[in-house]
Amino acid sequence: MLGPAPTEAWVALSAALFAIGAIGVLTRRSAILVFLSVELMLNAANLALVAFARQWATAGTAVAFSGQTVVFIVLAIAAAEVAVGLGILVSIFRDRLSTDVDTLSEVRL
Amino acid sequence: MLVFGVLAAIMLVGAIGVVTLRQPVHAALSLVGTLLTLAIAYVQLHAHFLAAIQVIVYAGAIMVLFLFVIMLLNLRGDEPQRRLTWIRPAAWIVGVGAAGGIAWTVVSDPAQAPSAAEIAAVFQGSGVEEVADQLFGRFVLSFQLVGVLLLTGIVAAVGLVQRKATETEARTRPKVAVPMPPSEPVDARAPVSADGGR
Repeated sequence: MLGPAPTEAWVALSAALFAIGAIGVLTRRSAILVFLSVELMLNAANLALVAFARQWATAGTAVAFSGQTVVFIVLAIAAAEVAVGLGILVSIFRDRLSTDVDTLSEVRL
Repeated sequence: MLVFGVLAAIMLVGAIGVVTLRQPVHAALSLVGTLLTLAIAYVQLHAHFLAAIQVIVYAGAIMVLFLFVIMLLNLRGDEPQRRLTWIRPAAWIVGVGAAGGIAWTVVSDPAQAPSAAEIAAVFQGSGVEEVADQLFGRFVLSFQLVGVLLLTGIVAAVGLVQRKATETEARTRPKVAVPMPPSEPVDARAPVSADGGR
């Protein structure tokens, strides 16, 4: 029971967080809460990447820190995504005084 | 493994809070808790640099942006508003306690700062140098593209607001004989700034 947690445990935790985030995206109606759940899913993926990077570092391979580097890039992309997404959200709210995603049905393929 | 159990429990509780809490502000604060716990998990996984970035960028900047937008849009649940009467004495107690703790730390033992060798030993294998090697070596194209993406994102965010301003300006031109919707008090001031401002 003692000692560092194995990679499987971290990845299982990451999967649980991702699943909870996916449930949130599918069930919440306010767009901002959907957005928060998307952030949760992004972070779950980051946790898995860091856990795998740790495993490869323990194994002593040359690609050990690629995972951490990718997480860094994902963080930068998340920042850009949040800025644009919240801008769109504010613009939608100005237009119809609500962020209920169920009523947003104009934009279709 | 014990640390993992505690971290996993806090993270899962926070994540379930994000998905189930009614108030958007509560959900956002719940996500802040999950993200901070995730930073501790990164320390556990020997990714100290990412832990710092996680706290500064994610739990700091991005979540402040979220809370700002939630409060700007004034998204309220249907919970009745009540004054938190205990928060003022609690704030005073916390503030005085923090000031006293800092003062006591400074006065009690000035020589307790660790030596440079100790600090270097702690940061050994923290991932900063390795991540920098990868970022400016193998991933240099991704690095540059992320820079372009951030610039595009900023321009797009400003463009969203800017287009909104020109639209309201066009709608309030006096020659356009469209009746104004009375529910927008912002339009009343728009012709003054449109004609006199520029």
